[in-house]
Amino acid sequence: MPTSNPLPPKENALFKRILKCYEQKQYKNGLKFAKQILSNPKFSEHGETLAMKGLTLNCLGRKEEAYDYVRRGLRNDLKSHVCWHVYGLLQRSDRKYEEAIKCYRNALKWDKDNLQILRDLSLLQVQMRDLEGYRDTRYQLLVLRPGQRASWIGYAMAYHLLKDYSMALRILEEFRKTQSQPKSHDYEHSELLLYQNMVMRDAGMNQEALQQLDHYDLQIVDRLSVSETTAEIQLELGRKMEASSIYRDLINRNPENWAYYRGYERSMALEDPDERLKFYKEISEQFPRATTPRRLPLTFTTGDTFRTEVDRFLQNALRKGVPPLFVVLRPLYTDLDKVKIIEDLALGYVDCLKDTGRFDKEGSGDAEPATALLWVYYYLAHHFDQKRQLQRAMEFVDLGLEHTPLLIELYVLKAKIYKHGGDVDEAVRLMDEAQSLDTADRYINSKCAKYMLRANLLQEACDMCSKFTREGVSAVESLNEMQCMWFQTESVAAYQRMNKFGDALKKCHEVDRHFTEIIEDQFDFHTYCMRKMTLRAYVSLLRLEDKLRSHNFYFKAAKMAIQIYLHLHDHPLADSEQDSNLDTENLSPAELKKMKRKQRKAQKKAEVEQQKQKAEMERREQNKNKAADSELDGPKEEELVPDKLARTEEPLEQAIKFLRPLQVLAAENVETHTQAYDIYSRKGKLLLMLQSIKRGFAACPTDPKLHTCLVHFHMFVKSQGDLPTPVRTVIGNEMSKIYDGKDPKTLNDDFLRQHSNSLEHILAGGSMMYKLDPKSQERAVSMVTNLSDKLQGRSIENVTSVYRSLCDGSFGECDKTIEEYQKQCHDLFPHAHAFALPACNTKTSAEGVVLTNGSLS
Amino acid sequence: MNIRCAAPEDLMNMQHCNLLCLPENYQMKYYFYHGLSWPQLSYVAEDEGGKIVGYVLAKMEEDPEDSVPHGHITSLAVKRSHRRLGLAQKLMDQASRAMVECFNAQYVSLHVRKSNRAALHLYTETLKFSISEIEPKYYADGEDAYAMRRILSEFREKAPITEEVSPQKAIEASA
Repeated sequence: MPTSNPLPPKENALFKRILKCYEQKQYKNGLKFAKQILSNPKFSEHGETLAMKGLTLNCLGRKEEAYDYVRRGLRNDLKSHVCWHVYGLLQRSDRKYEEAIKCYRNALKWDKDNLQILRDLSLLQVQMRDLEGYRDTRYQLLVLRPGQRASWIGYAMAYHLLKDYSMALRILEEFRKTQSQPKSHDYEHSELLLYQNMVMRDAGMNQEALQQLDHYDLQIVDRLSVSETTAEIQLELGRKMEASSIYRDLINRNPENWAYYRGYERSMALEDPDERLKFYKEISEQFPRATTPRRLPLTFTTGDTFRTEVDRFLQNALRKGVPPLFVVLRPLYTDLDKVKIIEDLALGYVDCLKDTGRFDKEGSGDAEPATALLWVYYYLAHHFDQKRQLQRAMEFVDLGLEHTPLLIELYVLKAKIYKHGGDVDEAVRLMDEAQSLDTADRYINSKCAKYMLRANLLQEACDMCSKFTREGVSAVESLNEMQCMWFQTESVAAYQRMNKFGDALKKCHEVDRHFTEIIEDQFDFHTYCMRKMTLRAYVSLLRLEDKLRSHNFYFKAAKMAIQIYLHLHDHPLADSEQDSNLDTENLSPAELKKMKRKQRKAQKKAEVEQQKQKAEMERREQNKNKAADSELDGPKEEELVPDKLARTEEPLEQAIKFLRPLQVLAAENVETHTQAYDIYSRKGKLLLMLQSIKRGFAACPTDPKLHTCLVHFHMFVKSQGDLPTPVRTVIGNEMSKIYDGKDPKTLNDDFLRQHSNSLEHILAGGSMMYKLDPKSQERAVSMVTNLSDKLQGRSIENVTSVYRSLCDGSFGECDKTIEEYQKQCHDLFPHAHAFALPACNTKTSAEGVVLTNGSLS
Repeated sequence: MNIRCAAPEDLMNMQHCNLLCLPENYQMKYYFYHGLSWPQLSYVAEDEGGKIVGYVLAKMEEDPEDSVPHGHITSLAVKRSHRRLGLAQKLMDQASRAMVECFNAQYVSLHVRKSNRAALHLYTETLKFSISEIEPKYYADGEDAYAMRRILSEFREKAPITEEVSPQKAIEASA
């Protein structure tokens, strides 16, 4: 034993029992045995015992003591691999992986062939993607245990991950040779062969991969993978006949898989629409219940052929009563000709069904079911909603409701139409009604909660969700536990709208923690998958985890977190200020009163909720103590306190933390870089600002927000005066590529000219125009307040942005215009709350009553 | 809708779909456990934008009491907005076939809430499951479950999945 302080036999036996107790999670017993050793004055400072005592305490959640004991143990026995290993395990449990790796390496200095430590080290290395280190450790493990399957696989895997494919393949082949003849139906062996095949394909060795699949065909049980891979390779090798026949078989196997049709078309070089259509018709006859072969031709056919095909498709679905008919066809709505054809057909069905009970005027054949008309109404409501002809959409939804008053789908759709009209309150009311008609359906419940969040009704949304979350725990907590990110990102948006920045940030951090957690989840699979031989899935998992934060949920949360931190940087909370204080200056006394009343109510509710939560926490704490012997999962995370988050000393650093993953994983999104610009410009980091606009320009040079950054940067550089020569040179070089020698004014004029038809661009250009020259106010304002129906992007969202910009002073003083503009917007979007005129309050509510009866004035 | 075998990158979106549709939810690790233990068995239905609108999360029973290899449906969901397209059946057929081919499964089992009549209808009428027993208080809230089974003999022949019945009004429901 390398320890400097060996124990006599009796104590040594006790020590072994401590180890055993640790492995079997009998921590209390472990402590008892440790005490028996340490209470003997001769061994009271025995290093390894102290270390093990510390490790055991850690498992009981007594972190501080744990560190004390482990460190004391280590100090007393620096040459013990046990002490170092234990210290490593302790750090690992706190997710301090770099530190843990160092400890394991120290441990191996004193016991270089210790299998357990080598295995633990290899896990940390692959988790941290220290692939070279992983390869070296796996080599040692192979040398020590050449008889074990995992030794070979792990070593080969290391080379695969390092992209040294030929070495990986040599190791795999060596290993395969040692394998005895596989049993019949040997899943693990089959997976190994397919993994070998994956490495070949990653190496670009298509020919070899094909031969391998052929050679081992009988030993591979995953028939689908064999077919899909073979077809892909054959296609890549240009062997079209072989490829097409496999794709044809794959279609037989699963006629709803789009990729198989694509593969077949490519391998047969089908280009002529008639030929393509003929092929799809064949399949359709063979599989009358398959949707794909009838749906795909609607994408590539045009004109009269399209009309015939879509006519058949629509009639079929309307006859059967397929509510998702619209979502199936929605992707076609980018083609205006097709939209027109569909509209003509559907409106025609309404007339014919009313006249003849059939889809055509001739009225031949059997009469259609009475529900056909209902589904036509339902379809047309969707159709006009999609076209944002909300009044017509509403007419059809109401016709549907007259036909079948309690159809939930109609309520859901009606709610959506109101949402698109900007009246979230009415949308919530209708969704709530839909929900009450089928309280057992969580989908409707979730949608209803989502609408409530859109209307800033946080408490109501929680109550709604609580119908499907665990009893005895608040819905918010339960949803967080289940990593329910849609709820959390929608909550962030609601809190942000209500200026409750602390609460919003808390939710952002919760989402971020989910991603951290999911990355941690990998840990167990490093060993597990090698045992199970599911190596292809394992490699895909590693690749997925490397880009996990590219997921939209992270992007959304990060974007809002950055916005909030920027706001907090610009407007730090005063000491006494509650973070929910609204901008009260622009409110009338009546509104103020109403708001205060609302706030008081909300506060009361929040207090009650807090009480509840506190009680719950206490209860859980008690439960935890009861189950103290159970293992704790991961380190206890710092509690997220809203007020503390909102009062951060370093909002920009916090924002950068959220930004970093976006810069790596969402570089193709221009917003990443405009956000980066917003952060770095506040820090005055000239070169990072330059980097942001450069990357943003590469992602989308015409983006409106980027344009404002470009103008700002140009002005900023000028305002910096003399810069050191190297900086000036870099900036000069890069700017010439982006600005093409234009000054800000020319840049802005050109931008406005090039995008004179897009409201979003006009707003960006207009606000820059005013910024560059306040004397141009009148022109800028008249430009952005244009509401011509020829403008692109004249949506409620964009018009609201214009309105907000006018109100927040981006165009200087312009009260008169604001009033007028608001009125115009109100006329254009009569149901949008954003433009509701305080003076017309009574009118709006009166209208609301009419609306619920179904007519959109 | 496109129906294909689920890959690890689908698992997070399956979790999202599950949270929207069903009362029984799981953390990501449980999805990983399925996807990394039996990568062939779970399937997704996605729309043209790649959004998951339905999925089946499936596994093999690890230590079957009857020592007969068989699959198990952990979770099956189709968004309400995509019901009546026949997705549940199509997902189940693909998963069942993979169970037979890769793991030699003899039958597939699942649990359904006693009160979930729509799901019960789907499993018995459309998917040819039958009730094997009642498991009292199976769910966390104390509700009983029907344990159901479907024998997978029809997937044993290598023939492509053919359409035997055409239950026109197959109402899809969820486990």
